[in-house]
Amino acid sequence: MDRKKLTYIVLAVACVATTVGFLLAFFVAAPAQMLRTLDSGKGAIMGSGFVSHPIDFGQKIFYFHVPVAIASFTIFFFTAFYGVRFLMTRDRKYDTKSRIATEVTLIFVVLTMITGDLWTRWSWGVWWTWEPRLTTYFIMMLLVIGYFVLRASVEDEEKRAVYAAAFGIIAFLDAPLSFAITRIVPAGSEVHPVVIGVPGGLEGSQLAAFLISMFGMIAFGYVIYQLRYREERAKERLEVLKAALED
Amino acid sequence: MAAPARTGSSSWRQFAAILRKDIIMELRTFEMLTSMGLYTMLTLVIYQIALSQSGSGFDVRLIAAGLLWLAFVFTSMLGLNRSLVHEKDQGCLEALLLSPVDRPVIFLAKAVGNLVFLLIVETITMPLFFVMFLSGRTLGGAWWMIPLALLVGSIGIAGVGTLLATISVNTRGRDFILSVLFIPVMYPLLLAAVGATSAAILGNPGFVEEFWRDMALAGGYDAIMLLAAYGLYEFVIGA
Repeated sequence: MDRKKLTYIVLAVACVATTVGFLLAFFVAAPAQMLRTLDSGKGAIMGSGFVSHPIDFGQKIFYFHVPVAIASFTIFFFTAFYGVRFLMTRDRKYDTKSRIATEVTLIFVVLTMITGDLWTRWSWGVWWTWEPRLTTYFIMMLLVIGYFVLRASVEDEEKRAVYAAAFGIIAFLDAPLSFAITRIVPAGSEVHPVVIGVPGGLEGSQLAAFLISMFGMIAFGYVIYQLRYREERAKERLEVLKAALED
Repeated sequence: MAAPARTGSSSWRQFAAILRKDIIMELRTFEMLTSMGLYTMLTLVIYQIALSQSGSGFDVRLIAAGLLWLAFVFTSMLGLNRSLVHEKDQGCLEALLLSPVDRPVIFLAKAVGNLVFLLIVETITMPLFFVMFLSGRTLGGAWWMIPLALLVGSIGIAGVGTLLATISVNTRGRDFILSVLFIPVMYPLLLAAVGATSAAILGNPGFVEEFWRDMALAGGYDAIMLLAAYGLYEFVIGA
């Protein structure tokens, strides 16, 4: 099967999966259990105020926010992976792939930040808190932006590709480290719920909605990546043709 | 092939030669140490301004570790940038690359040089900081804890910083690019280092465990990132 066909098939799958995941999240998934301590009834103390909400409808954003976050990290892996491939082979193709993967990462990281912010405002009553996952994503966003600032400031193409690959690898290593360290070091309690791999986390109906959404989001990431990559390749080919015509 | 080394292995001699070159160059001009030292002192003045409205009831010890590291982070960026701008602008880097020196040796020598300068600046700044901001207050931990935390943090700063400075010195907005790349990459290390330093300054109950936990995290960061920087340096400097 050729790439083009595959891309469209994955696009269709992504649309179906995210839609189904969304519907499941609202109509089938059991109401939030892990947030009960924080949200419904009891409320929570965050920032300067006591927060309480009668319904935990806001929790439904979980089925969008977490898949997007996981997708962003999955795609970020390919920045480093193609960076390593580029340094090994010096093939420009891998540099382009690494750059596009970082572009897609940026889209997903920004989406994670926006959905996360809406959620913190609703659930915790603050727009921002320096909590491990939020901090990690903020740092990751800065790293990804730094990657593009670096690319923009190097004129020589060969150098730009090498520097970007090296920084991409360092940045990818840095993200999990900052997650681990922000989770352990600061004094104070953790407010971000831990839901995966803990007893009493997600129930069957919630897990199904979550996994379908996650699958859909990663598929979307793949589609955006493929479309952007094809565009870039076409551009590169056009440049080669232009140069050939001028000669 | 060169003749067999007279003393020690040839890598070690290359390493010592590059390091000696950096130190001699610094001893002739004192350019890096003066600028870094002065910059930290100016930072201390800014701290005084920042704390001027806090009143006598405020315990500066609570934020002392953060203030200390803040000064070192900014001054280290100044030093890292300087140490490679010299190499680049005077064509020294090309000469180094032409000479039969292993690339990883260049990395280690430059990183150790940067570490030495950073440690000297820290040694001067530490007593000043304590006299100016913490005089009359008691330190919670043992005296050797703070220097140890500074050393582990500085190793990471010098190692990863040397790689990033080598990248940024070849870009258009040198110092700006360095700070854009350096601060987010350093974030986890700084958090752990500030945690360890703060535990040593405050000496709250359980501070010894807290100190070693944070030191282990900082050490782990150093190990992972230094290995990565060591492996990547060859590509970066050859580009």
